[in-house]
Amino acid sequence: MSKHAIIIEEFACWGCRACEVACKQEYNSVDADNGIKYLSVWPDGPKLMNGKLDFVWRVNVCKHCDDPPCAQACPVEAITKREDGIVILDYDKCNGCQLCIDECPYHAIRFDEEKKTVTKCNLCHHRVDKGLYPACADNICLAHCIYFGDPAEIEQKILEKRKARGGWGDILPKVITISRG
Amino acid sequence: MPEFRHSNIEREMEVYGYDSFVKSHCRMCHGGCGVIVYVKDGKVAKIAGDPDCPIAHGTLCTKGLASAQLAYHKDRLTYPVKRIGPKASGKWERISWDEALDTIAERILTYKEKYGPESVVFGYGTGRENEAVIYRIANVLGSPNVITAGHFCYGPRICTSIITCGTNPIVDYENFPKCIIMWGNNVTISNPDEYKGEPFSVALDKGAKLIVVDPRLTRPAARANVWLQLRPGTDAALALGMLNVIVNEELYDREFVEKYTHGWDPFVQRVNEYPLERVQEITWVPKEKIREAARLFATTKPAAIQWGVAIEQQTNCADNDRLLMFLMGITGNIDAPGGQVLNRTPNVVNVGQFGAHGMLPKDQFAKRLGGERFRLASRFAILQPKCVWDAILEEKPYPVKMLFLISSNPVITRANAKEVYRALEKVDFMAVADFFLTPTAELADIVLPAATWLEMDYVGDFWKRHGYILPRRKVIQVGECRSDHEMLNDLAHRIGQGQYWWNNFEEALDYILHPMNTTWKDFKKMNYIRGEVKYYKYKEGGFSTPTRKFELYSTTLEKMGYDPLPQHREPSESPVSTPELYKEYPYILITGARQPGFFHTENRQIGRLRELHRDPIVEIHPDAAAKEGIHEGDWVIIESRRGIVRQRVRLSLGRDPRIVAAQHGWWFPEKKDPGHGWHESNINILTDNALESCDPAMGASNIRTLLCRIYPEKKASYEKKE
Repeated sequence: MSKHAIIIEEFACWGCRACEVACKQEYNSVDADNGIKYLSVWPDGPKLMNGKLDFVWRVNVCKHCDDPPCAQACPVEAITKREDGIVILDYDKCNGCQLCIDECPYHAIRFDEEKKTVTKCNLCHHRVDKGLYPACADNICLAHCIYFGDPAEIEQKILEKRKARGGWGDILPKVITISRG
Repeated sequence: MPEFRHSNIEREMEVYGYDSFVKSHCRMCHGGCGVIVYVKDGKVAKIAGDPDCPIAHGTLCTKGLASAQLAYHKDRLTYPVKRIGPKASGKWERISWDEALDTIAERILTYKEKYGPESVVFGYGTGRENEAVIYRIANVLGSPNVITAGHFCYGPRICTSIITCGTNPIVDYENFPKCIIMWGNNVTISNPDEYKGEPFSVALDKGAKLIVVDPRLTRPAARANVWLQLRPGTDAALALGMLNVIVNEELYDREFVEKYTHGWDPFVQRVNEYPLERVQEITWVPKEKIREAARLFATTKPAAIQWGVAIEQQTNCADNDRLLMFLMGITGNIDAPGGQVLNRTPNVVNVGQFGAHGMLPKDQFAKRLGGERFRLASRFAILQPKCVWDAILEEKPYPVKMLFLISSNPVITRANAKEVYRALEKVDFMAVADFFLTPTAELADIVLPAATWLEMDYVGDFWKRHGYILPRRKVIQVGECRSDHEMLNDLAHRIGQGQYWWNNFEEALDYILHPMNTTWKDFKKMNYIRGEVKYYKYKEGGFSTPTRKFELYSTTLEKMGYDPLPQHREPSESPVSTPELYKEYPYILITGARQPGFFHTENRQIGRLRELHRDPIVEIHPDAAAKEGIHEGDWVIIESRRGIVRQRVRLSLGRDPRIVAAQHGWWFPEKKDPGHGWHESNINILTDNALESCDPAMGASNIRTLLCRIYPEKKASYEKKE
């Protein structure tokens, strides 16, 4: 079984926010002003980081953890991790208790006031299962910093890019393994 | 499990059950990006980037992705209307296209007869690639007056590059520059003509060194090897300082300078008037950093400068552009692979020919408003807008009676907005073509419903200098909307210009393409056509300038009576030029930093884009905020000598505490009164449009740098601190 991970190299992100709108396009009708969006880009800084005035963009989205704490927190087993790595929230099972929200270290789960369930990225599994890239990862990103696929291969690609940049890119993607005792 | 492939059209069609797809060419901003438009039940169902596009390589921005929300917006104007109440009363009545165009035609002919064709002024904003048709109708009519953003946006790059090296030098990202200066620009979230963020980003990923010139800490500035955090409005001094280093350390390309430049000696003399001590004092940039940047740029080959509009919306507009070209030139990067290329466009009818500039009679050319004052701009058919407002308000040197504004919202985008508003209130007759009833359109007599890029056929980018033309293919029809090209072709027939126009606009597209023996029907089957790719063309024929050289000393400007060499001029309001005023208005206000999703005044009604930026934001340093009693998220008043506006505070360490940075382009489509909040947060309420503050050659308004106060909104009025 091949592994499906989404990894965003935040060092390379320019904050163009196209991924947010691509996500919106995938999940909402054209006339919906507001609506569903599973990822958000936000400015971290400008602030002092390691003694230097710095500024990076961060992307909040479900990282599909190896050992997802949200799944452990869910009392109704609405969140499960598939064999290919995708962490799926089953909206029919969710009872809206929101226990998972505080457990997520990436602030990637939100509460939908209208539907009274939590909401998070299911990695466009309806697309992935048909051999299509997730909407945000389908080559829209001008920085080419949204990677989808096997995590080991992605890590290799990012290391190669870092080398080509002349070592730039100390901000490595966040580790996606979360283990709890 | 099937193999994953990006932009997998066949599978998208299969999985989503789309009926068809159309490859086209986006025009939510400056064009360039190839797109795939998926269609279901006759409607746009999804928009994606086209990986076959040679410019954006399948990546797409927020605006392009949200285009369908524009096309199908509930507030969109989908039929012509005429105003039935006073101006800005919001009272409109639906009329037919025939009635609309006949009324406009009748007015044009009446004013032409009574006041001369120069009393009819056409105009466009950043455009829907309508510039060629608009100039054509004006020139054939005999009106020398087309009001555009050209005096301070892109026009200066065209004018100054033509007189310096023949054409606009474009960064050759295809051959990966090894050093890039990003000067007053952030191509990753904006799209200056010819440029997309993707190739820039890829060049950095290939190891290019980066120098960023910006008063604000953008993400590129944070990633840069050298960030030159200059005092706003001092770009020319900074460039002269860098040139000083390159000249005196002999880091220039000796062969290029000796064989291919004109005016080296006087240029060196001028450069020597800007030693680094002086430049540091003017720009606030430490001289060591200026030296470091100059050395890095001059000794890394190939190198390029990613430029944009910020340096043009200043008093020093033309000289800023020229100085950046001098940096490209004397380092040997002009027309070099990976440097800055003088591209050849495909062999089509160019925008100047199509615009029929040759048909404007000489005596009418001489009547161009402001033509005697802004002589470089006037040579290239560009106007200073204040000259039009003055002609309306004071009828000097002659009255302007009619405006026809197409995709333009000058009430928000032009300097000294209150004066613009007064002029539009007074003008005898105004027609507007746009997507929505904007604050400008609310002052019109007739408003025509314009088509978006999804609703037209066109030879995309045929006026650009990146060397490509790309077909824009009509996908849908919305209401009675018509493209600017079609409506003007129709109008032209109604004012007796039929012999210079076409039966339908497809024939005009054939006309554009005919030098290549191609028709629109053939072209629309292609992805793109590219002009001949060739480097170092000047080594054979020289540059297309009067001296056939790269003109460091401009013989054209000299003839026009301007300083042939570039210089630093202080902004009309600054701590240096107006120290007394600075005591009363103790912050330097900079405006216009780009927000992804917006295109000047556009897209604030597009849900997916407005969601990214709810409110107009002014950035202020925490130290300055503490001094003024301002907190994060507060609504504050920003005040200049010309007025006040309100924006919302974001505290940010990313600029000098003496600088405040406000957003531009704001109005509030959600406010249903006819003003739509045009004056509330519109930064151009504060900007200056005095002709004395403009660039002397281009007439560029200085909207980027002025002096302001800033204080909490809840304070009734500004209390002078003793």
